[in-house]
Amino acid sequence: MGEVSTSMAGRVLLVLIALGSVSIHSMAQMGSSPESRFEQRRLRLMDVVSQERDRGFFTVAAKLATGRDKEFALAMLDSLTSDESMGGMFYSYMAIGTYLRLKDQLPDTLLHKIRRAYRERTMYRGDTENHWVAYYTGLYLAAQTWPNEERSQWFNGKSSAENFKESEEWLSRWMTTTATIGQGEFDSPTYFTVFITPMITLFDFAKDPVMKRKAQMTADLLLADFAAEHLDGNYCGGHSRDYPEDIINPLSAPAALWAWLYFGEPKVELWQESRYRPRYRGGWETLFGAMSSYRLPDVIYRIATDRSKAYVHTETKRVRNIIRFGREKNPPVYKYTYMTHDYALGSLQGGILQPIQQHTWDVTYRSDKPNNTIFTLHPFYSGKELAMFFPEEQKFLADDVDRYHIVYTDPRKWNSSSPYEQTFQHKNAIIVLYDIYPEANHKHIDGFFPKNLDERIDDSSGWIFCRAGSVYAAVFPLRPYEWIEEKINWRWRSADLKNGIVLEVGCSDEDGTFESFKKNVIQSKPALNSSKDDLTVNYKTRRGDAMKFTFGGKRLLNGKTVDFRAYKLFNGPFIQSERGSGVITLTDGNNVRMLNFKKATIKEWQLSKN
Amino acid sequence: MSVLNSRKHRLGARDNPTVGLFVSTDGGTTWNHKGWTGYIRIFYTEAGTDGNIWSACGNGVLRSTDGGNSWRITTGWQVTEVLKIKVDARAPGTAYAATAYGVFKTENGGETWQEHNRGFLKPFVSDIVIDKQQSARLLAATEDGVYLSSDGGTVWHRAGIDGRGVRTVAQHPTIKDLFFVGTEDDGVFISRDGGKNWTAANNGLKHLTVYSIACDRSNPDVLYLGTHGGGVYRSSDGGKSWQQKAEGLGNLVVHSIVMLPSNSSVVFAGTLNGGIFKSTDGGDHWNFNSQEEAQVWGLWAR
Repeated sequence: MGEVSTSMAGRVLLVLIALGSVSIHSMAQMGSSPESRFEQRRLRLMDVVSQERDRGFFTVAAKLATGRDKEFALAMLDSLTSDESMGGMFYSYMAIGTYLRLKDQLPDTLLHKIRRAYRERTMYRGDTENHWVAYYTGLYLAAQTWPNEERSQWFNGKSSAENFKESEEWLSRWMTTTATIGQGEFDSPTYFTVFITPMITLFDFAKDPVMKRKAQMTADLLLADFAAEHLDGNYCGGHSRDYPEDIINPLSAPAALWAWLYFGEPKVELWQESRYRPRYRGGWETLFGAMSSYRLPDVIYRIATDRSKAYVHTETKRVRNIIRFGREKNPPVYKYTYMTHDYALGSLQGGILQPIQQHTWDVTYRSDKPNNTIFTLHPFYSGKELAMFFPEEQKFLADDVDRYHIVYTDPRKWNSSSPYEQTFQHKNAIIVLYDIYPEANHKHIDGFFPKNLDERIDDSSGWIFCRAGSVYAAVFPLRPYEWIEEKINWRWRSADLKNGIVLEVGCSDEDGTFESFKKNVIQSKPALNSSKDDLTVNYKTRRGDAMKFTFGGKRLLNGKTVDFRAYKLFNGPFIQSERGSGVITLTDGNNVRMLNFKKATIKEWQLSKN
Repeated sequence: MSVLNSRKHRLGARDNPTVGLFVSTDGGTTWNHKGWTGYIRIFYTEAGTDGNIWSACGNGVLRSTDGGNSWRITTGWQVTEVLKIKVDARAPGTAYAATAYGVFKTENGGETWQEHNRGFLKPFVSDIVIDKQQSARLLAATEDGVYLSSDGGTVWHRAGIDGRGVRTVAQHPTIKDLFFVGTEDDGVFISRDGGKNWTAANNGLKHLTVYSIACDRSNPDVLYLGTHGGGVYRSSDGGKSWQQKAEGLGNLVVHSIVMLPSNSSVVFAGTLNGGIFKSTDGGDHWNFNSQEEAQVWGLWAR
């Protein structure tokens, strides 16, 4: 057991010097240890990004680091720093990250232009958690880089010392909050990238050893949080925020590129696969990961890749700040995820836990085809929901949000938080209930079923059976439904106000053949009690567990009440943490890495073989 | 000088990408951008009697001491989502920020800020007014009705309209105990005793979401409302009755409304996504004035 010393500054320089001489041939010589495979991937990534032509700091950084198109890169950086329309929180951390990584290669004129950007640009702080992380990371590093400067030298009229102090305070507070009551924009395949990249940048360049270590610990925490729900590049389970494109095609999410870089999965290079990269969002944040001195701890790598045993993993997160129409500022979010070698079933408890982009539950399965997921939702929207989280006028917000999150009011949208949706999951079975008020804007529920399923059968028993390779799913709709054919999926739609489904998932390792899975599932039929004041389902799973779930009431498992309040911050075979403790324990069964955010320490030890 | 806060909506600002503060010194004939060129979510601006300009923004409270050419964010991470900033006319270094997290006060020109939320059950505060007669007397518009403080915000007490969302609060410029509030769903309430008792005043008001209230200094019976969906309403009898005045208004979501102090028949209405409209006949007719498609969250004039 011992403290981990993390002084990496010298190592960064050595890595950069070495890059210019690395060739594909030499990469092939590197062997097959996890470390060498990571080295191959990061060099491969830098090589790929260095061939980009799109304007951006990552393109510049990759070209300069690899020595490719240096003049072009310098001209691009000149353009980025001359364009007065640019600014904001992402610009801020990317600009200072590029400066700090490559300042030895930059002419004085460009160094001065980057400095001037922090005097003349508007670095908007934003209104989401990831915005603030980016803003304060950028400001912290900029204030550290140019200390002792007066208020007039900064865009916000604050001195270097004032900016540094404010940034340090907020970042430390955010890290502690995340490690004690949970992240607000938690487990987001879309937004993961804009948390991990600032943390890695902060780790690389914070001079204060305590801040450097806390950034490293937070990067560890974010990656371990992902790893525990990771399956072959997919970020599984419920998500606070996700773009619809990433929900219906999980490997197209930016988080998948981080999985490729650090976990080595999926095996395919996602940017080469048009089915996983249908849009470009400047998503090369992983370049900073590839250039960083941060190294993924081995224990997290094993958490991400060891799927030899199925396990239940639960978490507590927090709702984004509720500024009105709520009793608590940050109510807890309860996550339940069941992970296997072949699939994951995961859920949040339901209700409004995040505005706009919530993804409450799904099955995600290992597949070499895209759109490898099944889920249902209620497409809820309301100005009041938005006004819980945003200060603008509630009657105006839905229209305003629709301007940039284009699908918010769309009845066909694939992301939504809904007060009319609740879940009850036990291992690989879930009951999802919908009690939709008559005044709701949309009165139906939708389900996503990919068209590329190998089989989809509407059985006379009332079950819908699906097979994707060796993964099986059975869905029991509680009310009549219809199928609507769309480009890549079948849209399952049901329009009753008191509604829901029961779902079981399995695979050949667990259930043998698809036929035997179907036979086992058909033995049981969900019993629905529905009246004006009641919506209850009783169901006995194919494994014999009795689940009883009343919307707005109790969740009973084999007669015992499931009490979410007993949830820890993390609870599973790989991660343990008591809420409020600030101590996160990561283990692969042989090794332990303990992150203590209250003491800002990392400890590692091996477990006794006894 | 008239000061206006304009915010182009986040996408689609095709014709004019500039956001932030626009100032007119010729009665709204021309508008000039001041200060910030990037997006900072500016909601409201007003100037103190010392000439310093304060802005309420998502980034916090901003202050300019040079007429809007340069700005300082006076607040730290603790202060965000600032919806209004009100400056004490008698002590221009004292200002109150109405925010989604309650009221924050500075007494030294923004060098330091203190949270002042004692007494609020729900601290979401949309607006605040400093009593022109007694600077320590404040009224706050909250999600849970109107709150009153007699000690500069140290302690707040319920003052009525409990349980209802209050969007704006205003004091009549010449009648000292006369106050008005606009609510989310319940129209207008009037208090004639300094905010202690409130009476609904919605006769003729068909749109009950009221974002802004303006009072005519030269004619105490003339009032204007900016509403959601109904555009502008005017009262000529001190709020006893209201008439909709929307002719020519291209956008009926009016979030801000002011009169020119030098000529109260000239009225400006700031809309959400429709820019500024101007009337020169007390609201009978409106014409588009400036800032096409802009979200005009706040207007202020002196």
